[in-house]
Amino acid sequence: YVMRWDWEALVAYEQGLIAEATRQIGQVPGVRIMGEGADRVSVLSFMLEGIHPHDAGTVLDTLGVAVRAGHHCAQPLMRRFGITATLRASFGAYNTHDEVGALVAGLARVRKVLG
Amino acid sequence: MSELDDLYQSVILDHNRAPRNFRKLEGATNHAEGRNPLCGDQFDVWLKLDGDVISEVAFLGQGCAISKASASMMTQAVKGKTVGEARALFDKFHEVVTGTGRPGALPSKLEVFRGVSAFPIRVKCATLSWHALKSALETMDTK
Repeated sequence: YVMRWDWEALVAYEQGLIAEATRQIGQVPGVRIMGEGADRVSVLSFMLEGIHPHDAGTVLDTLGVAVRAGHHCAQPLMRRFGITATLRASFGAYNTHDEVGALVAGLARVRKVLG
Repeated sequence: MSELDDLYQSVILDHNRAPRNFRKLEGATNHAEGRNPLCGDQFDVWLKLDGDVISEVAFLGQGCAISKASASMMTQAVKGKTVGEARALFDKFHEVVTGTGRPGALPSKLEVFRGVSAFPIRVKCATLSWHALKSALETMDTK
């Protein structure tokens, strides 16, 4: 199935999604993006000031937005940064730009519910 | 949405922001640590037992709003209780957050955690400090 895809187009599309997500989420107040290397896959790990990723993840879940929350089995890296958990959004070729917007809108709702 | 409102009631958010009995307990007779390796939530629970009665209880640690609020409210609920009463409270609390407990089984303050049962993945958050309490009651530790 995957081998039938135009690989370069797929990668370019995902790169477009992650660039868009990074730009929009970077503008959300109180956000800290973890990892800002230029060469990256379409995964975004970030934190919201004063809000634990578990709680944010539960709110987003109720809005139909699925992210991961926790240490992502990367405890040594968490220790390196002096943190315990992050939110992590992963974008695949099946995601849309509207869904980036849905995530960002979801973060506003997270802030509203959890303060 | 109502399930989310049931989960994040204002008393839970309040206890998360200003947890009660949030300190190390000097002169504790019992201590245990609760840690969830899947997420990194971690709490130390200290008790001072006077005979059979929990005369003092305190906790420190880090975790999500549900886990911290639960720990805070746990300390309020068990202070002044006997060991047997605290153990019974643990069982009832566990039933309520897993959705099997009947209404009115818990003191009304702890009933706010009934909303956790709609979010099974958060059950471990709510019960972490209670498991530490249970462990602490089973050890004699002067740390």
